[in-house]
Amino acid sequence: MNLTLSSVYRPYSFPTLLKSSSFSTLSRPFCSSALSSPPTCVKPQVPLFLRPPIYSTKLCELKKWHDWAKGVAFSIGSTFVHSDNGRDSSILFREMKWLMEDAVEDHSMIVDDERVKMRIGIDELYCLWKQRIHERRPFQYVVGCEHWRDLVLSVQEGVLIPRPETELIVDFVYDVVSENEDLKSGVWADLGTGSGALAIGIGRVLRSEGGRVVATDLSPVAVAVAAYNVQRYCLQDKIELREGSWFEPLKDMEGKLVGLVSNPPYIPSKDISGLQAEVGRHEPRVALDGGTDGMDALLHLCDGAGLMLKPGGFFAFETNGEHQCRALVDYMENNRSGSFCNLEIRADFAGIQRFVMGFHQ
Amino acid sequence: MSRFLGKSLRTKGPLFLHKILGISSESHNILVLSRYRRHFSHSLPHNTSNLVPSTGSLQIRFFASEAAAATTEPSTSDGLTVQGILANNWNILDENDGDWKSHATAIAQSIHLIKRRLHWEKLKVRLDMLSFQLSKEDLWDDPVRAGKISREHGSLLGKMKEVNAFEQELLEHIDMIKLAREENDADLESESLKALLNMRRNAKEKELEALLSGEQDSCSCYIEVQAGAGGTESMDWAAMVMQMYKSWAQQRGYKVTVVDEMPGEIAGIKRATIKVDGEFAFGYAKAEIGVHRLVRISPFDSNKRRHTSFAAVAVIPILGDGSTHVQINESDLRIERFRAGGAGGQHVNTTESAVRIVHIPTGVTATCQNERSQHQNKASAMAVLQSRLDQLEMARQAQFNAQHTQSLTDITWGSQIRSYVLHPYRMVKDLRTNYEVSDPDSVLEGDLDSFILSYLSASLDKDDDA
Repeated sequence: MNLTLSSVYRPYSFPTLLKSSSFSTLSRPFCSSALSSPPTCVKPQVPLFLRPPIYSTKLCELKKWHDWAKGVAFSIGSTFVHSDNGRDSSILFREMKWLMEDAVEDHSMIVDDERVKMRIGIDELYCLWKQRIHERRPFQYVVGCEHWRDLVLSVQEGVLIPRPETELIVDFVYDVVSENEDLKSGVWADLGTGSGALAIGIGRVLRSEGGRVVATDLSPVAVAVAAYNVQRYCLQDKIELREGSWFEPLKDMEGKLVGLVSNPPYIPSKDISGLQAEVGRHEPRVALDGGTDGMDALLHLCDGAGLMLKPGGFFAFETNGEHQCRALVDYMENNRSGSFCNLEIRADFAGIQRFVMGFHQ
Repeated sequence: MSRFLGKSLRTKGPLFLHKILGISSESHNILVLSRYRRHFSHSLPHNTSNLVPSTGSLQIRFFASEAAAATTEPSTSDGLTVQGILANNWNILDENDGDWKSHATAIAQSIHLIKRRLHWEKLKVRLDMLSFQLSKEDLWDDPVRAGKISREHGSLLGKMKEVNAFEQELLEHIDMIKLAREENDADLESESLKALLNMRRNAKEKELEALLSGEQDSCSCYIEVQAGAGGTESMDWAAMVMQMYKSWAQQRGYKVTVVDEMPGEIAGIKRATIKVDGEFAFGYAKAEIGVHRLVRISPFDSNKRRHTSFAAVAVIPILGDGSTHVQINESDLRIERFRAGGAGGQHVNTTESAVRIVHIPTGVTATCQNERSQHQNKASAMAVLQSRLDQLEMARQAQFNAQHTQSLTDITWGSQIRSYVLHPYRMVKDLRTNYEVSDPDSVLEGDLDSFILSYLSASLDKDDDA
């Protein structure tokens, strides 16, 4: 079974923002090696907190924005919660604070100075908060980054926002690598890498070991953004990015992988229309839609794992919950018997059976 | 000091030597000269390096000589001691008056106060006991315990040496002044007086340092504020108190991070925790433990009535790696993420990253929401929990934190430490020291040092067992 979806949501175009930023003027230290752009030459957006503070605003203007934004958030109350379990006012207040954190250069905002240095103009700030509230645009797309484990990952439209549940997969990898010498020095694969979250998390686990990570994604936008994130964390020597569908970019690694991880699309197609607005309206469907049962990609990964992993190799997949976990384990035990051992289902922090992991026989 | 000696030799060489030889005995000459050449250590590091024992007998001799040196009371060449200076009851004049007796008395009083604050007699007993422990042959059989004993010994020895050196310096400056007067050396006398004046000013700083001599005083800390009964008015008051501490900490140059905050329904906060990063943050902030009382016309009362509100303050030290930590088992923890219901995963977008950890055996909890990732918030909450469990254990062992325990469990009326009155008159008064100021606004803006120092002085100087 092979996903052949080729459509990719086009990212928002911000010509003004793109013009105002360039790599050479980033305010954060940047890796010395040049960014090698993927074949399609998609240029990733620079997250807000890394843009140069070239704008200047009166402190009273910023305060006016703050009061306006707070009033807008306050008026939401529990509307979003009742609508689709979205944010309530108190969390929107915190998001607003974080937006200011990223947009304003000097967080202490010395009152003696009448002006404040900003990374975007005050008009843009109004625009961003309107998008957040009126269009339910995800906060992570508004600021262009997501804080995940101890990383700050660039994200933009067309790239799945990494979920906190997925943080746990890196812990699983850390545990299994600690107990198995062979897994430290081999090649790991992260399929459907999106922003590169899992690849980077695992790359850091393997930092002082010989192991490497190959990360693949069907979307050229995701590949470009993941490459940007890999470069920000100086892991180009350890993480290789390849564009393509699932195992196609890995034909040269059949039977050689020591580890395989993925957070594949796992939402049943019929549930897509009912998703929270931030997700359904804005995030890439290709990263969410798991087909009729939500298991198309998962089953494909199981087949591929049997083919790609070397004996003793480890895999971990994220799923929709207990039903999919059990179905997956049944599939591996019945249809791929003899291929896998030590199959295990693990819960996420909410107690939902979320992850399936095991080893190649 | 060599500068003084060199100067004397250059300007009054023959006469100076003649006087010494003519007046004093030979042994006295040796004593005086050796004192002049001695190198002074004005400030010893708080944490001296670990002492490594070589042989038992050698150690015994070393520590014995230290004890002997500490026991012998230093004096000037004509037998004047610090106690003698105090007994003389000379007048303490203004700093600008060039009277060496005035300076000497002020410095002697400071030394006396410093020793009291350091619990000098207890310190000496403790040091002797630690020296004895260090001299045992089987000391390093338990490296962890040996390291701890060695560190404490180094710390106490450092304090004692610093005070003794300061005392010695005072007496030698007095000797120099007397010598200069005998020789009619106005320059030397002037320089020595200036040195005494500097010592007098430094002594005030050393008095302050002695207030912060507790084991955890140098630590960073968490400050928690919790609203008392009374609804919106109390929550607003709790927010004001928390803002007061943020301002105080920032003015002192500490780094302030909001770890946890539970907003009130209408205004203010129900509870909040800040982390105050910096040396001696706990030493100062521990003076704030207790219940703070506000009297004002509530802005939330449409009838403009006067209200009394309370906020409880707890301060928890963040212990360093050298300290003993309570062991935490992962299986004893319940880790909760907020709004965890629903399908989760790809179904929802979330920016709710708050984490709450419950230590099941004790019921102690920690909540963190400042970080933007759940992973980071869990790490922060674990750090807070560790500090709370460490403090709980310390309180259980020493029972010296009873005030903290009570202040959290008896919020409305117990352990009041300070009143802030905004109406019908304006005043802030510390109920433990009776120190008061008539400008509540500056206090609420973080001007707390006078209250803190007066409390630290009063509580330490009350324990008069020097």
